[in-house]
Amino acid sequence: MNYEAVIGLEIHVQLNSATKLFCDCRNRPGDQPNQNTCPICLWFPGALPKLSQEALEKATLACLALNCTVQPESAFDQKVYYYPDLPKGFQLSQHHRPLAKNGWLDILGEDKTVKRLRIHHIHMEEDVARLVHETEGRTPISLVDFNRAGTPLIEIVTEPDMRTPYDAMEFVRSLRAQLRYTGSSDCSMEQGTLRVDANISLRPRGTDALNTKVEVKNMNSIRNVADAIAYEIKRQTECLDRGEPIVLHTRLWDSEKNVTTAMRGKFFGPCIPDPSVPKIVVTDAWLQEILGRLPEMPSQKAARFLNEYGLTPDEASNMIQEQDMSDFFEAVANENLPPRKVASWMATHLIPFLKDNNQTIKDTPLTPKRFASLLFMLETDVINANAAKEVLTKLLSSDQSPEEIVEKGRFRQVSDNAELEALIDRILADHLSDVEDFRNGNAKVMGFFMGLAMKASQGTANPKLLKEILTKRLS
Amino acid sequence: MAPDIFTYKNVLPQKSTEGGVLAGKKVVIQPNMSARGWLTNAGSLALEGFIALEDATVITRLRNAGAALIGSTRMSELGFGLSDDKRTRALCGGEADIALITDTMGEVRVAAATSGFFGFKPSYGIISRFGLIGLVPSMECYGIMAKSPEDIITTIGAIAGKDENDFSMPDEKLPDFSMPEESPKTTGVAGVIKECLSTLDDTELKAFEAGLEKIEEAGLTIQEVSLENFRLFQTVHNVIGSVEASSSAGKYDGVRYGHRAAPAKNWNEMYLSSRGESFGLLMKTYLFQGAYLQFENYPAFENACRIRRRLIRDTEKLFEHIDVLALPTRRLHHDPVRAATIGETYDAFLLTLPANVTGQPSLQIPSLCLNSGADLGLQIISPRLSDARLLATGMRISSIIHGAKET
Repeated sequence: MNYEAVIGLEIHVQLNSATKLFCDCRNRPGDQPNQNTCPICLWFPGALPKLSQEALEKATLACLALNCTVQPESAFDQKVYYYPDLPKGFQLSQHHRPLAKNGWLDILGEDKTVKRLRIHHIHMEEDVARLVHETEGRTPISLVDFNRAGTPLIEIVTEPDMRTPYDAMEFVRSLRAQLRYTGSSDCSMEQGTLRVDANISLRPRGTDALNTKVEVKNMNSIRNVADAIAYEIKRQTECLDRGEPIVLHTRLWDSEKNVTTAMRGKFFGPCIPDPSVPKIVVTDAWLQEILGRLPEMPSQKAARFLNEYGLTPDEASNMIQEQDMSDFFEAVANENLPPRKVASWMATHLIPFLKDNNQTIKDTPLTPKRFASLLFMLETDVINANAAKEVLTKLLSSDQSPEEIVEKGRFRQVSDNAELEALIDRILADHLSDVEDFRNGNAKVMGFFMGLAMKASQGTANPKLLKEILTKRLS
Repeated sequence: MAPDIFTYKNVLPQKSTEGGVLAGKKVVIQPNMSARGWLTNAGSLALEGFIALEDATVITRLRNAGAALIGSTRMSELGFGLSDDKRTRALCGGEADIALITDTMGEVRVAAATSGFFGFKPSYGIISRFGLIGLVPSMECYGIMAKSPEDIITTIGAIAGKDENDFSMPDEKLPDFSMPEESPKTTGVAGVIKECLSTLDDTELKAFEAGLEKIEEAGLTIQEVSLENFRLFQTVHNVIGSVEASSSAGKYDGVRYGHRAAPAKNWNEMYLSSRGESFGLLMKTYLFQGAYLQFENYPAFENACRIRRRLIRDTEKLFEHIDVLALPTRRLHHDPVRAATIGETYDAFLLTLPANVTGQPSLQIPSLCLNSGADLGLQIISPRLSDARLLATGMRISSIIHGAKET
């Protein structure tokens, strides 16, 4: 049968406030185990939680960035379950009265049309401790690190509006960009500060049933999210085709084997109102104050880049993912360079380089001015694209000026007709049979000659000129 | 006096601070109130050997007011019910002037009624809970027992008030205990709940009526009022109380402190056996009931919360026409010390737990409801945050009746 997938996401984001959600301990889970603990986050007898104002503000910023309505009143509940990672026997979370409701994000679907994906609500909660399983001699032991216990999270629960793995991937990309701009979280899936769980069910295409869903966890990249969902759709389709019922449960994504495996039945614990954390009352004035702290958001910025710089939606989307890169783009484009060229060079060379080296632009000596000089030389045929790539690599690791690098490294493009003609004549004379080949109609030989000529000029030949001369000589 | 009255005995209580309002007063507390360095086991094996890391806000304030903290008395497990009358004996024996007893369902008032003292449960939310090892956070609070109402007023004045360590305290104007309102004669209307009278037997009724006559002599007018759902206080307290208790006691796993059972084969077994060995039968039953409601019958809990709001509203409405409610404090045939089941425990506190459900202040006055030697105790209850007025009224009734010096 032809099925349609119904996908909803539950996304946990770790806020980067200085302290934990309910005590003054540092919010640094990675420190020496159990260093950031106190009677409150260890929940010693007599302890009382005190809600961090900074965490509340950062959570609120995140809600506003995701177009949610912040509720005038919200409250914490106790989510009851017993596990060694939970010092209280319950987790403080907002179940009955979440911080914000009814948000949305627009994404560009696979068909390049705008699709609005709704967010059901966003609530705050505390993270649990980290369990480390080791062996002591031959005895397996479990250790508990409470550094993470009580650190602030928000959970974003979407409506089941997504239909394809692509939708989900774009949603997470867009959400990550929006949240990073607020400065509330680093949103790193690799570091675990952004955790995406997907709920997936299938239904015959054309119906609007909401069938039993399966939850998939443990994806540590946006790519993984799409892969895990695609796998789960395939798995459920096969189940249904065999006539097997879908059972509500949780599955773990295995990124090495590219499969999901059953973990446990989905757990529903009771949630009872917590009497110790006072309800959160949000006034309009306070909300306005928080709203004022939002910078121009990526979605707005993308629209502006389309209008002001004439970028395509894909280019704009690439440029706005990180705030510092979008600022960098604007600074370079404003140096009187064609914006699409700037975007294309950033997207294909600069951003991948930074990603491969696990750097941000601020970790390198590259400034908008230096990058602009490089692109200017490329634009004015002082250097060719090959040379520009090499010069860029040097610009990212030294503070020499681009002009200096070009001169010293002999990157200057050879645009001297006579020099290039002599070079080509030499090559053609050495490859008479290939010349014959070309004249007999094998157009591919052109590429072969181009390659030889580039090599002979050590990459400095002006390719446009080279091609002109070659065409003339061969005809 | 036998040493086993104390959980912790302070051999060197601080010397009274000159000028402190509680200077010269000896105060005994319970081991569910954190006093730094003291054994603070809350009467439970679940906290066996637990030494408090810091002072509860109330303890800090008592020290600052110059009180001498002489120790903590043994108590019922986690403050649920009354297991013995040793606290009262500590007072009777003259070792202490004032006792702090947590009031979860009326413990401080019933203990006071049994031994002829004043017992006071303040409005919910006016005393910081920081450092209190509680069980039922939305209904329990520190209670004060003393021989004289003056000592109660001084103590509550010293310990009540905002605390930056307790964010759950509502942002509201607190009663001013510094000067109880002066009035030569007590006036006003005391409401007697019809549905409460029907729970009393003849002996109790006689004693209660004797008490009412005395407060009439003191100037109050008696008026019968109706609180149709009076019996629901018990159910509401039982349901909400056990659910909150189950959550509060969830942290007692015997790993970080408290009693830990012999090694088990996994963490779950370890929790089960440590908890199984730690809690007494009554507490276990209560926690089981709460867990059952949480996991299997959550709507019952939600209903109880709804009914609680209605009971609060109904009670507040009564106060539009009366100044205080008058009830007996304890029941002669329902001894809390002997209560072996949850039902018997709740029966013993039938008359006191409404004030815990509503969060209203309640003062137990001795020696008014007497019948053939037994003192039932008389409770007066007033609206939330009218604690100062309630204490002033109680003080005047007492002084008029007992012919003590007018204040």
